[in-house]
Amino acid sequence: MNSATVEASKLSKAFGSKQVLQDISFGVSPGDVIGVLGKNGAGKTTLLDLMLGFTPPTAGAIRVFGHESHSLPGNIKARVGFVPQQDELLDQLSAADQLRVIASFYPRWDSALISRLCGEWGVPLDVRIKSMSVGERQKLSILLAFGHQPELLILDEPVASLDPIARRQFLEQLLTISTDGQRAIVFSSHIVSDIERLANRIWILKEGRLDWQGDLDSLKESIVRLHIRGTGPELPAFQIPGVLNVRRDGAFATAVVRDWTPEAQEALEKGASVQVDVEALGLEEIFVELHR
Amino acid sequence: MKAVARLVWSYFMGSLVTRVCTFGGLVLIAVAFYVLMTQPQSGEMLWLASIGMIVFFAGSSLMPMMFGRLGGSHSIGVLPGGRLKLLLSAFVTVVIVAIPAALVTPAGYVAGNAGSFADLAKNPQYLEFTLQLAKLMFTSAVLFAGWLYLAMWFISRQRDVAGFSKGLLVMAIVIFTPARDISDLTVSLSWNLLQIAISWLVFGAGFLLWPRYKAVRARRGRDRSAAFALAPARGTAGREFDLMLGTANPWLLIAAFVVPLLIATRFAEGFLQIWLFFLTIFSTVSGAIAGEAAGRSRALWLRGNWTREDLFRQVERSFWRHNGIVLGSLILILFGIGSYAGLPVTMLAVGLPLLILGTVLSTYLGLMITRGLRWLEVLLGIGVMLTLMAVAVIAREREDLVTVFALLASLAVLALALRFTARRRWTRIDWMLCRPDRSLAVRAA
Repeated sequence: MNSATVEASKLSKAFGSKQVLQDISFGVSPGDVIGVLGKNGAGKTTLLDLMLGFTPPTAGAIRVFGHESHSLPGNIKARVGFVPQQDELLDQLSAADQLRVIASFYPRWDSALISRLCGEWGVPLDVRIKSMSVGERQKLSILLAFGHQPELLILDEPVASLDPIARRQFLEQLLTISTDGQRAIVFSSHIVSDIERLANRIWILKEGRLDWQGDLDSLKESIVRLHIRGTGPELPAFQIPGVLNVRRDGAFATAVVRDWTPEAQEALEKGASVQVDVEALGLEEIFVELHR
Repeated sequence: MKAVARLVWSYFMGSLVTRVCTFGGLVLIAVAFYVLMTQPQSGEMLWLASIGMIVFFAGSSLMPMMFGRLGGSHSIGVLPGGRLKLLLSAFVTVVIVAIPAALVTPAGYVAGNAGSFADLAKNPQYLEFTLQLAKLMFTSAVLFAGWLYLAMWFISRQRDVAGFSKGLLVMAIVIFTPARDISDLTVSLSWNLLQIAISWLVFGAGFLLWPRYKAVRARRGRDRSAAFALAPARGTAGREFDLMLGTANPWLLIAAFVVPLLIATRFAEGFLQIWLFFLTIFSTVSGAIAGEAAGRSRALWLRGNWTREDLFRQVERSFWRHNGIVLGSLILILFGIGSYAGLPVTMLAVGLPLLILGTVLSTYLGLMITRGLRWLEVLLGIGVMLTLMAVAVIAREREDLVTVFALLASLAVLALALRFTARRRWTRIDWMLCRPDRSLAVRAA
C-alpha cells in the first residue's frame, strides 16, 4: 500500500514547442503543507493542473493516491479539493444554491463547518453570486473546496483577491485543517509571507524546473548571506562554492550562497584568512536572490 | 442521483425568473389541460398550452448556461462523476421539458374532435391512435428541445465566431427538420427514437471522452493552445480601434455563416420563407458584437482624445465599416442563392430591406446596452426578431404586401429611435456600469 498522496517522476509538460515544465520529480505526503513559489510564467499553475489531472504530462508520470492523475476515479476525486485561480462559480445561482449543487456531488459534506465559516467569513448565502464582490466570490470558492474535507487540497493563488483580515482568517482555517497531519495541502501564492507563515515545505520553480524543494528550515539554512571581513586593507582572492551573487568593498564583501554548510564556512575562513558572519534570510529575500 | 436531481432542480429553480417561468408555465399547461379535458369544442385552447410549454421551456433556460459553465470549468475534473452526472442532468431536463407536449397533445386531439376522455375507453382504436400521437409528440419534443439546448450551449460556452457558427448550424436543423418532417409526413416513432439515440450517443460520447481526446493530443505533442495564444494577431496595424471593438475582421463572421447557410439551403426546399428568415437572423449578429461595445470602449476613451459624443461617432463608423462588408455579403447570398433556390421576386424585393433593417436594428440595439442587458433591451430584441420573422413569413403572399411594407416602415422608424437612444446613452456613459466584470457593475449599480 502506497502512503504517498502525490508522486511524480521525471515530469515534463510542453505546449507545442514551448517547454513549460521539465524533468520534475517530487512527492507529497499527508501532513505536508507545500508552498509553491515561482515568477509569473514559471509553470506553477501547470504543475497544479498536472496534479489535478486537468492536463496530462508530455513525459514522465504523476500519481495521486496511487492513480494516474489524468484518469482519477470518482472515489479518488472525492478525496481531492481544489480552489482555482479564477473562480468558476455559477453567476445565476445564490451562494447557498451553489453550495448545495457542489455538495450533492460528494458522499460526505460537512455542512456545519461550511455554515460556521460562511458566518465567520461574511459570505452572504442568499445573495446571487453575480452581485457578490470579488472577495466574497473568492471566499465562496475556497468554501466549496473545504466542504468534503479533502485529504489533498490544492489551491492556486487562493488569497489574491482577499483583504488582509479575510486572508488571515483563511490562513487560520488552513492551519486548522493541516494540524491533524492527515491532509496534504499544496498552494501557490505570490504573497511570500503567507507561504512562510503556513508552509512546512517549499517548492521553488524556476524556468520550468524545480529549483528547490525541501522544508522551509533547510531552505533558510542552505541559502544565507555571508559578511566577509579580511584582516588587511584589501580582501584576498577567494572562491565560494554555490555563490549566487557577491559584492566587494575594500576589506569587506557580502555574498549570497546556496547549499551553505558549517564545513564550507570553516574551509573559507581557513583558506582565505577571513572572518565570516552568516546572516539568515527571509523567504522573500531567498526567492529574489534565487532569481537574480 | 443526488447530484443529478440537485442540478435539475437548480436549472428550473435557480433564479427568480426561472422559478416564475417554471411555475407560470406549469400553471398555464395545467389550466389548458383542464379546459381541454372538460370543455367541449375547446381545441382552440391549445394556444394556452403552447404558451405554457414555451414559458416552461424558458424556465429551464439556466440549463445550457450552467451546463456550459460547469462543463467548461476546471472544477468538473475534480467533481466525482462530474461529467456523467452533468450529462444525465441535461438529458433528464430535456425529458421533463418534453413531458407537457405528450400530455397536452392527446387532450387537444380529443377536444378537437369534440369528444371526451371517456370516449377513448370505449374505442380501442381511438385510444391506440391517441397514445401513439402522444408518444410521437413526446419524442419530437425531446428532439426539438435537445437541439435548442445544444444551440444555446454552443453559444453560451464559446462566445466567439466558432461557437456562433456551431449554434447557427444547430439552429438550421432545429428550424428546418420539423417543418420538413411534417410536410413530407416522414415522422414516425421509430425514426424519432433513432434520432434521439444517435444524437445523445454522439453528444454524450463527445462530452465524456473530450478530456481523454485532449490527453491523447497532449501526449502526441499537439497541445498548441498556449503556443497559439502567444501568436500575435496579423495584419492589424493601424486598425487598433476596430481590433479593440471586435470589428476588425468581418470575413471571419462571413466564413462562419457559410456552412450553416449551405446546409439551410439544402434543407430549405419548399420552405423559402423560413430560409429568408434564417438569412435575416445572420443580419442581426452584429448586434451581439455591438452589445459589447460600451464595455470595450473604456480603453478607447482613455487612449484617444475623444469626448463621449466623438467616441460614439467613431464606434458607429467602425461598426458600419464592419457591417457594410457583412451586409454586402448577405445581400449577394440573398440574390445568388435565393435566385438559384427559386425565391419569388417579391421575397427577393422584401429580403433586401429586411436584411438592411436586421443589421441596423440589431447594431443600434446592441449599442443601446450601456448598463448591462435589461428588460427593455430584451423585450425590444424579442419584438424585433418576431417582426422580422413575420415579415419573412408573410412576404410570399402578394396580397399581404401592404402589411409587409407597413411592418418594414415601422421597423425603419424604430431603427431611428434606437439610434437616437443609443447616442443619448453614450453621451452619459458610465463605464463602472458597463464593464465586462459584471459583478463590479452590479455592485456599482
